[in-house]
Amino acid sequence: MNIEDRVINSVKGVLDKRPEVTLDSRLLEDLLVDSLDKLMILSAIEDEFGLEIEEEFADVHTVKDIVVKLKARGF
Amino acid sequence: MDRKEFYKRLWVDESLAEVTGYNPYYLSVNSGLNERLLVNGCKMIDLASNNYLGLATDSRVKQAAIEAVQKYGVSLCGTPIATGYIDLFQRLEEELASFVGLERTVILPSCYQANNGLFSCLAGSEDLIVVDRLVHSSLIQGIKAAGCKIRPFLHNNLNHLEGILQRSSSYRQVFVVTESVFSTEGSVAPFKKIVELCEKYGAMPIIDDSHGIGVLGKSGRGILEEQKIEGYKGIYTASLGKALANSGGMISGEKRVIDYLKYYCSHLVYSTALSPAVLAGISAVLDIIRVEFTGIKHKLISYQRQIHKALIEGGFEVVAGEAPINSVQTASKEVTFSLGQRLYAKGILSTPFIEPSVPLNQGRVRLIAGAGLSPGTVDEAAGIIKRLGAS
Ligand SMILES: Cc1ncc(COP(=O)(O)O)c(C=O)c1O
Repeated sequence: MNIEDRVINSVKGVLDKRPEVTLDSRLLEDLLVDSLDKLMILSAIEDEFGLEIEEEFADVHTVKDIVVKLKARGF
Repeated sequence: MDRKEFYKRLWVDESLAEVTGYNPYYLSVNSGLNERLLVNGCKMIDLASNNYLGLATDSRVKQAAIEAVQKYGVSLCGTPIATGYIDLFQRLEEELASFVGLERTVILPSCYQANNGLFSCLAGSEDLIVVDRLVHSSLIQGIKAAGCKIRPFLHNNLNHLEGILQRSSSYRQVFVVTESVFSTEGSVAPFKKIVELCEKYGAMPIIDDSHGIGVLGKSGRGILEEQKIEGYKGIYTASLGKALANSGGMISGEKRVIDYLKYYCSHLVYSTALSPAVLAGISAVLDIIRVEFTGIKHKLISYQRQIHKALIEGGFEVVAGEAPINSVQTASKEVTFSLGQRLYAKGILSTPFIEPSVPLNQGRVRLIAGAGLSPGTVDEAAGIIKRLGAS
């Protein structure tokens, strides 16, 4: 599976009852993600990619932003 | 620096109240929780308060509070570590511990304060706190204050929780935090299974039983009794301001934990102790529960069912819960406020929840018909609800 699909699946896994998740989905506006949802998403990303996330993911706005950050970390 | 700018930032968004013509917050209440509650001078049916057992205005409880005031005055004007630790306080700690079946208890001015102070006292940066995604703000704020790693799990989802526990063996201590009854939903946590998972992974369970104490269990002793959890080795908190009809918060657990909190939990040590009237009031409520719980609970459940039926007949979408709470799914905050307003206009006081009290767009209107209401009042409320749905 490519990195984009892995991210989308991780996000879907922790957002029950939400609309479709795509790379362009905005976390707040489209997926109605609040601060706890965001923590859950980042935890799921940590598990999926086996890394520790600190502050550097605080400003992600869309699903694609997560992919970009991961790529910047060498994934 | 500009103080004018500072004040400008303190802006309250009242647009929702303007659009719906209704602000459910800080309503002026001019009576106690009687058969009818006076709100802004109007008689209302109280389906809003957490007076589950209807004991907030019970004459025996009032009398106990009055006697305590006569003996001790209204306050000891000191924290529990100083002059606030009167014999009533100590006795109530023992009573509460034995009521919930745990070794020791400490009493704080509120459960908000208990939940706020607990984590920074017991957890640190090497620890992990795993928490149900829907827990109360007091737990979230307390957990954030501990400065440790936080991982929320999906509401009541044991698979998600276990997955996290499996991957979390590198922490000094993992805590698993949840509530017994989720008050905006009326759902009940599968806490026995959560405790078993904690045993399996060496994690420390922490439960907030604010809406379970005095409500759940064969004799009202809360979630541990309800789910037959014996030899509980975790930590337990609860509000004394809901079914127990007074105010305050308790933390219970093993002696070692409570002894530690008594010296190191600043939210306890530096805050004026609960007043004599309240301490005596809680004790009187416990006495009543011991004798009368079965009858009171029967009423509470039958009222809950009656309101549930009325909501369904009125065409409302109700969350399926096991607690004596009816929670209407209203989604957007506008619809939530508007239902609250329509109920209010017909003489029913409800509790609307919008974000951040609930996740975005998962608004709820909660109705609790306490056992203190008369059957006639509940019939009337049910009738109003049905007609409201039909209109
Ligand atoms: C689940 C839960 N925990 C804690 C609290 C806070 O309790 P208290 O009112 O005693 O501060 C509440 C009350 O609103 C609650 O619903």
